[in-house]
Amino acid sequence: MVIVKRKDLSLAERLWLPEIGRALSMTLRAIFKPKVTRQYPEEPLPTTAVTRGQPRLRILEDGENLACVSCGLCEAACPAYAITIDGHETERFIEREPEAFEIDMLRCILCGFCEEACPKDAIFMSNELELADFTRAALVYDIDKLKRPTAALTGRMDYFYKVTNRWRNSSSTS
Amino acid sequence: MSLPLHLAALAAPRSATNQINDFLTGVKPDFVPDWALPLTTALISVGIAVAIISLVAMSGTWLERKVSGHIQCRYGPMRVGWHGWLQPIADGVKLLLKEDMIPLGADKPLYLLAPALVLASILGAMAVFPLAPDFYFADIDLGIFTILALTSTTTIGVVMAGWSSNSKWSLYGAMREAAQVVAYEIPLGISLLVPVMVAGSFNLLEVSNGQAGGFGVLNWYIWPWVNPFMGPAFLLFFIAILAETKRAPFDLPEAESELVAGFMTEYSGIRWSFFFMEEYAAMFLYCVVGSFFFFGGFESPLTSLARATDVHLLVQVAAAVTIIAKGYAGLFLMMWLRWTLPRVRIDQVMTLGYKYLTPLALACVLGASVWEVFLAPVLPWR
Repeated sequence: MVIVKRKDLSLAERLWLPEIGRALSMTLRAIFKPKVTRQYPEEPLPTTAVTRGQPRLRILEDGENLACVSCGLCEAACPAYAITIDGHETERFIEREPEAFEIDMLRCILCGFCEEACPKDAIFMSNELELADFTRAALVYDIDKLKRPTAALTGRMDYFYKVTNRWRNSSSTS
Repeated sequence: MSLPLHLAALAAPRSATNQINDFLTGVKPDFVPDWALPLTTALISVGIAVAIISLVAMSGTWLERKVSGHIQCRYGPMRVGWHGWLQPIADGVKLLLKEDMIPLGADKPLYLLAPALVLASILGAMAVFPLAPDFYFADIDLGIFTILALTSTTTIGVVMAGWSSNSKWSLYGAMREAAQVVAYEIPLGISLLVPVMVAGSFNLLEVSNGQAGGFGVLNWYIWPWVNPFMGPAFLLFFIAILAETKRAPFDLPEAESELVAGFMTEYSGIRWSFFFMEEYAAMFLYCVVGSFFFFGGFESPLTSLARATDVHLLVQVAAAVTIIAKGYAGLFLMMWLRWTLPRVRIDQVMTLGYKYLTPLALACVLGASVWEVFLAPVLPWR
């Protein structure tokens, strides 16, 4: 048996009223405190280089060609079979480039394996997180929806090189 | 129930007309029969009362959500209109379009009647509430008596709703409501006797006039120099109206953590919203009653200023603004309390009502009457 010794309450405590007054002052102060709610569409979640958002294809520094050589390694690495690549030959030095590159965003699990598999630093997990549309077909992203300038992916790239110690690929400028 | 003869005489309006009637008499074309006048007056009055109740309920729900949000470091509704001020309209549309469900085992006539009865009693009480010193529906000598009688009629509607829903939660809620309201009617009525004694009238307009002067502030009944028992009486009154309007910490009839939604568990759509409208209208009405009897009614520095200009319309508007502002201040206080205090148990509610509030209210009346009889006549400022 445990005897719990309870504190004897003073008259002021038994009356409740001073304590209610204290509680009221606390809630009144809370009204003027800064709010913790984020007004989402106007105030998006701040993203960092660590944010692993949706995969995006990198456009080379020349501003028009993709870094992708359509080797198919990401397609093979993808555990969700979200990536479909159709490559063709090109006159450029790299010889091959994707004709069609589709990522089914409904299947993509944002695991980042494609990013790790890519030998040409062509695909990176961007900081884009918003994914909503009215049809399934619209959520199968093609090249036009996927490509991003290098500048948009630099933060993620630097972080990625840092954690993987991967040597910055010199052939990406070709 | 028939009132005794002298009470019935007091309950009759002082004059058969009001501003709406006078206005209609002025513009009535000849072909309209005379009997149509009181009918039209009544319809217009009811329309205004319904509009007031709806506006109060709409602004009340919005205010409640904003206050609760801000107290919890949230924003509350922000999307519909500026800071969500149109949210009540969106809610109203939603509630109107919702399916109106009636449980299979429900007592259908009672089930359908209950929300209407609840709202009707509040509408009836609105009749006595003066909007401005010269704008009222009925100027009755027993004003506060009528308000108390009609607002406590809502209990019948609530019990009806709880009983006819054929649900245990509803029944528990209704029983709690009945017990609670009966317990708190007593201190509510008795604590109101203190200002009634000081004013010497049940009539809201006369009580308000009794607090005129002193820059519109110094003669309010709440001040200890008017009567030191007024402060405790107001405290008792305020606790009692919290219980009467089923507000936290006395919201046991709803008690969503124990009874789903209490007596309105089975209601949906617009019928459910009637209970909500009643709750906010009753809160506002009691707050207005409190400001009439303790906080000067129409009297405020604003009204004093308006009176100095001697423009009739300006005085009316200032008085209306004053009373509405005081009503909303009371509403805010009730919401603030709701989001501060935890709910008490039903036995604590009953103990507080019967064992503490009622004797204290009686003591207040006793002390106040001694003060009024022996001290008030010799005080220079009274």
